[in-house]
Amino acid sequence: MRKYILVRALYSVVTLWLLVTIIFGLVRLTGDPVAMKAEAGADAAYVAQLRQNWGLDQPLYWQYLSFVGRLLRADFGHSFEKSLPVRDIYFERLPNSLKLGFAAFLISISFGVPFGMLSALKVNSWWDNTGKMIALFGLSMPGFFVGLVLILVFGIGLGWFPVLGKGSSAFIWDAPWTWVTFWFRDWAHLVMPAFALGWYFSGAMLRITRSGMLDVLGSDYIKLVRLKGVPERMVVARHALKNSMIPVLTFAGLNLLIMVNVAVVIEVIFNWPGVGQLLYDALSNRDFPMVQGVVLMSGLMIVLLNFTIDVLYGYVDPRIRLSR
Amino acid sequence: MTQRASTRGLLALAVALALMATAGGQAVAQKAGGTPILSEPLAKLDIKPAQIDTARGTPKGTLTVAMHFALDPGWLDPLEHSYVITMQMYDYLVHDAMIKPMNYGYVTYGLAEHAELSADFRRAAFRLRPGLKFHDGQPLTTADVKWTYESFKGAYAKVFHDKLEHIQIADDRTIVFHFKEPFIDFMDLYNGGIGGIGWIVPKHYYEKVGRDGFKAKPIGAGPYKLVSQQAGVQMTFEAFEEYWRRTPATKTIVVKGVRDLTARMAGLQTGELDLAFGMTGKLLSRLMADKSLRWDPNFTGPWWLMFPGGNEQGSPFRDKRVRQAVSLAINRQFLVKQETQGIGKPWGNWISPENRDALQGQDAPVPEFNLEKAKQLMTQAGFPDGFEVDYTPFPPYFDMAERIITDLRAIGIRGKVQSLEGPAFRSKIGQGRKGFPGNRTIVQNIDPRAGGSKANIAVYAVCDSPSSFMCDPQIEALWKKHQASLDLAERERLVKQIQRIVLDEHYFVPIYWNPFVAAVGPRVLPEGEGFHRYWDTLNAPYPWPWEIWEVKADR
Repeated sequence: MRKYILVRALYSVVTLWLLVTIIFGLVRLTGDPVAMKAEAGADAAYVAQLRQNWGLDQPLYWQYLSFVGRLLRADFGHSFEKSLPVRDIYFERLPNSLKLGFAAFLISISFGVPFGMLSALKVNSWWDNTGKMIALFGLSMPGFFVGLVLILVFGIGLGWFPVLGKGSSAFIWDAPWTWVTFWFRDWAHLVMPAFALGWYFSGAMLRITRSGMLDVLGSDYIKLVRLKGVPERMVVARHALKNSMIPVLTFAGLNLLIMVNVAVVIEVIFNWPGVGQLLYDALSNRDFPMVQGVVLMSGLMIVLLNFTIDVLYGYVDPRIRLSR
Repeated sequence: MTQRASTRGLLALAVALALMATAGGQAVAQKAGGTPILSEPLAKLDIKPAQIDTARGTPKGTLTVAMHFALDPGWLDPLEHSYVITMQMYDYLVHDAMIKPMNYGYVTYGLAEHAELSADFRRAAFRLRPGLKFHDGQPLTTADVKWTYESFKGAYAKVFHDKLEHIQIADDRTIVFHFKEPFIDFMDLYNGGIGGIGWIVPKHYYEKVGRDGFKAKPIGAGPYKLVSQQAGVQMTFEAFEEYWRRTPATKTIVVKGVRDLTARMAGLQTGELDLAFGMTGKLLSRLMADKSLRWDPNFTGPWWLMFPGGNEQGSPFRDKRVRQAVSLAINRQFLVKQETQGIGKPWGNWISPENRDALQGQDAPVPEFNLEKAKQLMTQAGFPDGFEVDYTPFPPYFDMAERIITDLRAIGIRGKVQSLEGPAFRSKIGQGRKGFPGNRTIVQNIDPRAGGSKANIAVYAVCDSPSSFMCDPQIEALWKKHQASLDLAERERLVKQIQRIVLDEHYFVPIYWNPFVAAVGPRVLPEGEGFHRYWDTLNAPYPWPWEIWEVKADR
């Protein structure tokens, strides 16, 4: 098992290094960030100074080496656009994204899983058709459309919820008392963006729960349990549910990461100050250090999640660790 | 052109303090004066006295403002002032300048109560007003002015540093800049409306907290103190009640970065925002129809077309008749109606009329819309069937580009819109000719830069500018003469002559004067149409100064 974990860890490190290298190269193909600050007619000395300040006057290999060197010290550099350390800005935004992501995740789970199960249990019934319809709407109505409708109806029309931002609550890393209050204050700001973000994933969650449940319900061991005369409620609760949830939970974990890291459209519409909007701004402004930092942190989360899943699979199913 | 400062001092005393009524209370227009600093002939300066409010009220209410892009903490540091005009919005909140544009004059006294410029433009002297303080209570002295100048590394820094011989501090309030050679543009560039070097930074604090620390929590001598910020998202400012000119009327100003136009509109409608910028585009009609909201046209600069490579062999735009045909083919009136709900003004110059020495009115009439004449000119130029062009508009004004292309199609010029996003467009403009290879390209641009018409000419109309697409020997000769001249009247004449040539030769095709519409909510005072006074400052895309903004008290 130890060897298995070491190999998986090595894979993770290689994946991260590849990500570091690729993002470093790709972001530099997008254009010249100096042009953002140097307006038309900017004098050459000013342009040269900006390049020097941002380290863009160095040869590419040197930029790469110093980037990797800084990363090893957990330093992502200074944002070109926001003029402060990327790490500080990122960690200021991350709690906001986690808050939105978790809320959307809960919404997607609470809609998707029960309706998916119901659809599977009452397949081809009125319930199933309704469930499929919800899934279809969830997957085909883009989040920005749902968001705009929510703003129009519940924000402007009824005035129930605020439409901009996350409210005044803040998560301050060196003020532990804010760690709790942050999650429970300003929920009115959270309702609409979380619903708009979770809506799409509800549809996806519903479909995967339904198909997972149908697979399990049609399997031989469930047939055997039924033949033994076990009540249907017990069949579902004790035998079918657990097994059908394995793919659902894996999918849900990945969804959560997506909701936390790339909820760009929803964050822009509701002006939610998360990392998605940060990435969007950074890309728009050729803010190389910020793009690199945000992408790497997202990549790190995904790599860690996959690593954890691999390790858990290895524990659960010895055939997996033996075959690799 | 020169005048003894002592004479001005006496005149100042004779005029005394004029009382001027403003909406916020009694404002005293302080006449600049005092004893002269330089003992030599002086150049004439037209600097308006500061209007100081005698009635110091209590700030009240919260003004929530939405910018149309993410906020940059770097904007809070004048030492790294870029060319981006947005920075000045924050200069006007947190900092204060020696001289700066205000709603009562383009060049007015700020921290300085008196300024002199020697007739040979080799020395500039300032006297600070007494009792100035930074937000931390420390006095603002000439040591801060000197340190700011010497530490400045933003736009135009090289010009300032190269020209400087030394700085002489006469006392805590009097400072003299000595230049190696005549620095005729000094007062223009030192003006807070142009760059960052005139906005004074506290030496003691900057040295203590460093570059990053200052951007995160800046201190200045302006009307508002920064109390908190989330980088890129929100900045919260509170009134600095000891501000020398007046007590700010609004207690708290919250600035948010709200990129999405729909979100800004929604924020105004729900009352979460009191002021939003960049309300042009598809939602403008909705804004105009909403009875609870008000808007200001906020004219910035005119749109214009230019022709990269137009002076090269093989370019159809080398022929003046083709350039003129382009101008004649554009239905400006219709365009203004479609693009700006009729708010924009068809215009005959590419320089904002708010910029000094800009030709306007009868000197730069709006070009006519005459398709027949345009077609004739195309035929005479040898292009009866027209030709194809790449059309690159200033982003994101792609709808406007399509409308202009439709107009041009009527004379056979078939355009294809090259949609670039902001940074890519700026990068290409910055590269000048290299940014637009080929010589059948039309670029649709706008540039509301301040600094007088000479600034626009220096960037777009002379051969050696990196962003210029034209090179006319006649203009070059006039520009050389301008740069060598120490006669302000002659410089003005030359600047106008150059504009005349650019327009007569149709090197640029002006379209319309653009409204950069801003909207305000019901909490902004005064109610009714009086709020337009916030946009009285010339050459200002944002409604500074902020200390005059009034809102209803918080509930």
